[in-house]
Amino acid sequence: MTIMDFQEKYKNRHEIAKQWKKDGKKIFGYFCGYVPEELIGAAGIIPVRILGSLDKVSLADSHIQSFICAFGRSCLDQGLKGTYDYLDGIVVSKTCDIMRNMLGIWSRNIEVPFTFYIGAPSKRTEAARTCLIEEFKLLRSKLEEFTGKSIDDNSINQSIESYNQSRKLLKELYELRAEDNPPLSGSDFYHIVKAGFVTPKKEYNEMLLELKSKLTSSESSDGKGVRLLISGSTFEDVNILKMIEDSGGTVVSDDLCVGSRYFWDLIEPASDPIRALADRYQMRVTCPCKHPSDERLERILDEVKKHRVQGVISIVQKFCDTHLFEYPYMRDLLQENDMPFLYLETEDRLGEEGQFKTRVQAFLEMLR
Amino acid sequence: MSEKKPVKKKRLKTAEKLGELMKDYYTESAMIKSQKKPVAWLTSVAPVEICYAMDVFPVYPENYATICAARKLSAEFCEAAEAKGYSTDLCSYALNNFGSIYLNKGPFMGQGLPEPDLLIATEHACLSMAKWWEALSRHFDVPLYVVDSSLPVGEDVASYQIKYFADQLEELVEFIEKHTGNKFDMKRFKEVLRYSDQASSLFLEIAEFRKTVPSPVSPIEMFTNMFPLVTLAGKKEAVEFYKELRDEIKDLVDRGVPAVPNEKYRLIWDLFPVWYNLKLFPYMEEKGGVVVADVYATAFGGSIDISRPFEGLAERYVGNPLLSYGIGEYIELYKQMIKDFHVDGIVFHSNRSCRMASMGQYEVKQGIYNDLGIPGVVFETDFVDPRSYSDEQVKDTLDSFFEILETRK
Repeated sequence: MTIMDFQEKYKNRHEIAKQWKKDGKKIFGYFCGYVPEELIGAAGIIPVRILGSLDKVSLADSHIQSFICAFGRSCLDQGLKGTYDYLDGIVVSKTCDIMRNMLGIWSRNIEVPFTFYIGAPSKRTEAARTCLIEEFKLLRSKLEEFTGKSIDDNSINQSIESYNQSRKLLKELYELRAEDNPPLSGSDFYHIVKAGFVTPKKEYNEMLLELKSKLTSSESSDGKGVRLLISGSTFEDVNILKMIEDSGGTVVSDDLCVGSRYFWDLIEPASDPIRALADRYQMRVTCPCKHPSDERLERILDEVKKHRVQGVISIVQKFCDTHLFEYPYMRDLLQENDMPFLYLETEDRLGEEGQFKTRVQAFLEMLR
Repeated sequence: MSEKKPVKKKRLKTAEKLGELMKDYYTESAMIKSQKKPVAWLTSVAPVEICYAMDVFPVYPENYATICAARKLSAEFCEAAEAKGYSTDLCSYALNNFGSIYLNKGPFMGQGLPEPDLLIATEHACLSMAKWWEALSRHFDVPLYVVDSSLPVGEDVASYQIKYFADQLEELVEFIEKHTGNKFDMKRFKEVLRYSDQASSLFLEIAEFRKTVPSPVSPIEMFTNMFPLVTLAGKKEAVEFYKELRDEIKDLVDRGVPAVPNEKYRLIWDLFPVWYNLKLFPYMEEKGGVVVADVYATAFGGSIDISRPFEGLAERYVGNPLLSYGIGEYIELYKQMIKDFHVDGIVFHSNRSCRMASMGQYEVKQGIYNDLGIPGVVFETDFVDPRSYSDEQVKDTLDSFFEILETRK
């Protein structure tokens, strides 16, 4: 089991999914880490996360404006090009304004038999949780209607268990990066996490276990890189991380939607599994779309200490309102905590390398 | 917005009164700190009625941004916000607000808005509001209450979703009591709700007059006359103002007086005006294009069931078509409006500041064209930040649209 195997899973995800489809499986796409995949899994459906692509956006431009983030435009563009034709359903949870609009535009233009929008509240109160429980219950019954089979508590609990195992394993791998010589680079870890979005959990957990057993006995890095935390939402181009690492940085921690924010919190088993799911999805480490979102920044400061981070690089999608609103606060907070900070704005990709590379090199130079 | 309004002489008598209402409000706003009355800053579609019922002075940075834009102050304010690290891609209502705070400047008596003691936000119209208000809360170090929502898209709002919103409105009352010491009084609250409800139904009545061909009221008149509907919702003055306005416009209808002499094409205006260039409306009117309908104005209306005050208010806010309709429902709403208002075309103002409301516009335009053959045009600007505005480009786009409309007559 090597990083390459994880990379291949993600790279070939559409071909693999089409094969599942031939084998009679149902597949749902979901946007972002606020959709309870466990519930979709419990219905016997394979959930796969819809993410951006590095292909040029062409068809989406006649459906949404160029001032929508590259991620949103790319997802819709892939849908319009038929990349996701194998999907039997799409589930979206309320996070940002782009997500709120996405499902309506998607389903008007791309045929998909099942759609569901979770009107997830933003707050962390008991009243908000009551609402989220209702939303999840409704999703459960719509899924039952769709498959024609009831989803019993037991199957949800089983699903929760295998997702929890994934998260636990990912967290263990993540923690290895706190070591002096992290056995995994930031880009390695990025590939590992992304494979999980498109691989059924049973198979994925086996992959993670095997990787873990090998890692502890493998050669480590030289431990000389500048220790960095990467913050942001999602970006498709791993070359951003590679460039940072090639410039002498070692990514030892992250605050990414496609990183630790996705797997950080486990589901605490409860007698009512829907309640257990709602607890976790409401109280999970916050995305800036939620309110209040200070906890995200507090966690960054914790991670900085735990992983002995020397600098934070924020990689923000252009036009991402929620991250952009928090940027000045995050900058000031890190400054107060004497933590050097570099801000990079991307459109899902590295783009012209020179543009960022000079700034990253200067930043790392300052920290050495 | 009042003195420098780019219309000729004020056509409507009541418009004079609007100027007075605005002046009174902003004069009170400038003096409010010396009166020791608590000040709350509110996002749009936030329950201002609760503020009025509890003697809290409401301030609307969004409305303020439209005035700053009209007075040509917004570019400077946006730049000041950017200098502090706020991205130029963020909502310019917010950037304008931040900049005005940093520079402590504004169009009224040269100063910015009175500092808030409380902050109240909703997030169902767009998420940026909650993020913006969080930033304000950190800047002023004052308490913030966000009225959160759990809403569907394009489906009926469920009772638990109404309840969630309504329960928070009750919690907001406790929040205000706690931080200001002002007490809540149900009788007073119901009175405020009644005024708000009356103002809104009068406003809708006025909007209905626009079904008359030719339209008795111009879009600038409609947009500027929204001020009491939003800012003074719950005040008796707003009700009196709209009664007068309604009577004046009804009289114009009865006498067959059009707002624009050569009305040729009747148009729907999708979303916000370009606040620093309201002259676009007279520009279109010269070519016979008159805006006769918009959802933006009516979105702030909606009746309130006063017998269930909190639920009633919640239903008014989260049942708002502009905010919770899916694209399909939006198209249906416009199709109905096209019939009722005898509409020839739709002008979509794609607003770089508002991803939430702009993102579905291409779909709505195409959907309506497919179903009814009614054409639309999309032009893109920022509604408050004029720095990348090209008047020529916008007018070219509108001109081509009028050519299309001409061939269809």
